[in-house]
Amino acid sequence: MRTTSPDLHTLTGAYAVNALSDLERAAFETHLAHCAGCAVEVAELAATATRLGVAVEFTPPPHLRARVLAAASETRQLPPHTPRAARSRSWRPAGGLLAAACLVAAVVLTVQVTGSDSSQDQLTQLASEYGRFSDLLSTPDARLVTANGPAGSTATAVISPSRNELLFLSRSMPAPPTDRVYQLWVINSDGPHSAGVLPSGSAPLLTGGVTGAERVAVTVEPQGGSPTPTGEKVMEITVV
Amino acid sequence: MPKLERPLHGLPPATGHPAEPSADELLALVARGDEAAFERLYDVASGSVFGLIRRVVRDQAQSEEVFQEVMLEVWRTATRFDPERGSATTWIMTLTHRRAVDRVRSAQAASNREEHVARLDPARPFDEVSEQVSGRFEQRQVRRCLSFLTELQRESVVLAYYQGYSYPEVASLLGLPLGTVKTRMRDGLIRLRDCMGVTG
Repeated sequence: MRTTSPDLHTLTGAYAVNALSDLERAAFETHLAHCAGCAVEVAELAATATRLGVAVEFTPPPHLRARVLAAASETRQLPPHTPRAARSRSWRPAGGLLAAACLVAAVVLTVQVTGSDSSQDQLTQLASEYGRFSDLLSTPDARLVTANGPAGSTATAVISPSRNELLFLSRSMPAPPTDRVYQLWVINSDGPHSAGVLPSGSAPLLTGGVTGAERVAVTVEPQGGSPTPTGEKVMEITVV
Repeated sequence: MPKLERPLHGLPPATGHPAEPSADELLALVARGDEAAFERLYDVASGSVFGLIRRVVRDQAQSEEVFQEVMLEVWRTATRFDPERGSATTWIMTLTHRRAVDRVRSAQAASNREEHVARLDPARPFDEVSEQVSGRFEQRQVRRCLSFLTELQRESVVLAYYQGYSYPEVASLLGLPLGTVKTRMRDGLIRLRDCMGVTG
C-alpha cells in the first residue's frame, strides 16, 4: 500500500464538514479516489456530520411542499451513470478552477506514485510540500491562471500576493533538448527574475519573491540554468 | 458497506411493527422516476434538510430558496446515488450542507469576510443545539457526544458545520494555526463517530 501523506489524511475531517475551498476539495477528492483508507474514513465522518444536521431538524413552511413536488414533476432526472463511468466521482465541473485543481492533484499524485518506493525522507518531504500547496490554495487571494505550452502541454500558476508565493505546474511538457533544462522566470516591471529550473517530469515548483509579478515564463536554458533568460521562450502566462 | 443508519425520523421501528420505508428504499424508487416515492421522501427528509439549511444560512427567505433547490436536486440526481458509498440520509444531508455553505460563501464573498468572522460569537451554535433539545433521541445524543469533545475540537467542528466556515476561517476565529484546526476537526469528528457508533 502506498504511504499516505499525513497532511492529506488530516483533511478527511475538514472535507466531511465541507470546510475546504473548492480547489482543495477537488484536489482531495482526486486523492480520495486512490486512497481506500481515506474513503472509508470520509464515509464515516460524513455520516457523523449528518447526525449533527439531523439534530437541528425544523419543519419547512407547508406551502413549499406543493411547490417542490410540482417542480420535480416538470424536471427531467439525470441519466444514471453507465457501469463504465460509474466509478468516476461526480463533481460538477466548475470551469478552469476545478480543472486546475485536478491538475494540482494529478501532479501531486504523480509525484507521490513516483516517490512510492523512495526513502521515508522523500515521502516526508512530499508531505510537507503538499501542505505548502494546500495552504497556498486556501489563501483567500490565491488566483489561478493557465496557459498552453508547446506540443499540447499546459501550465498552471497559482499565485498569492499576500503570501508572496507562486506555484507553477506543467503537464505533458516535452522533454527539453539534450543538455538543456526548462527555467521558470517571474517577470515584474524590473524584468525577469529566475524562479529556478523546472524539476523533471511534471513536478511542481513553488517559489517566493513574486511581489509585483506580471507574467511568468519558461525558457530553454543550458544545464544548471542561466542568470538571465538566453534561450527560446516556450511558455508565458500573464498573472495580473 | 453496511447501512446501519436509522431512517431520518425517530427511532428504529419497534420489532413486530411494519417498517416505514427507509430513506434508502425511497431514494432508490425516486431514482426510477417514482413521484409518489419522492413525495414520501419529502415528508421523511424535508425537516432535516430545512433545519440544517436554516441553521447555516439563517435568513428565512434565502433558506427557503436553498431548500427548494436542494429538494429538486435530490429528485434530479437521485439516479447518481450510490448506496455502496453511504446511506441515503448521508447523501442528502451532504448535498444539503454543501448547498447551504455555497450560499453563505457566495454571499460573504461580496462583503468583508474578515470583519464578519470576527464579529461572531463562537459559543452560539453549540448553545443553540443544547437549548433546543426537545427529547428527541438524535438531539440528546448529539448534545451528549459533543460534550465529550475538547473545547477546541467542539468549536472547530461546530463552527465549520453549523456556521459553514472554511477551516482557514475557523483558524482565524480561534487564533489557531491551520494545521491545528484541520487536526481538531478530524479528531473531533472521530470522537463523535465513536460516541455515536457511526459506521459509515
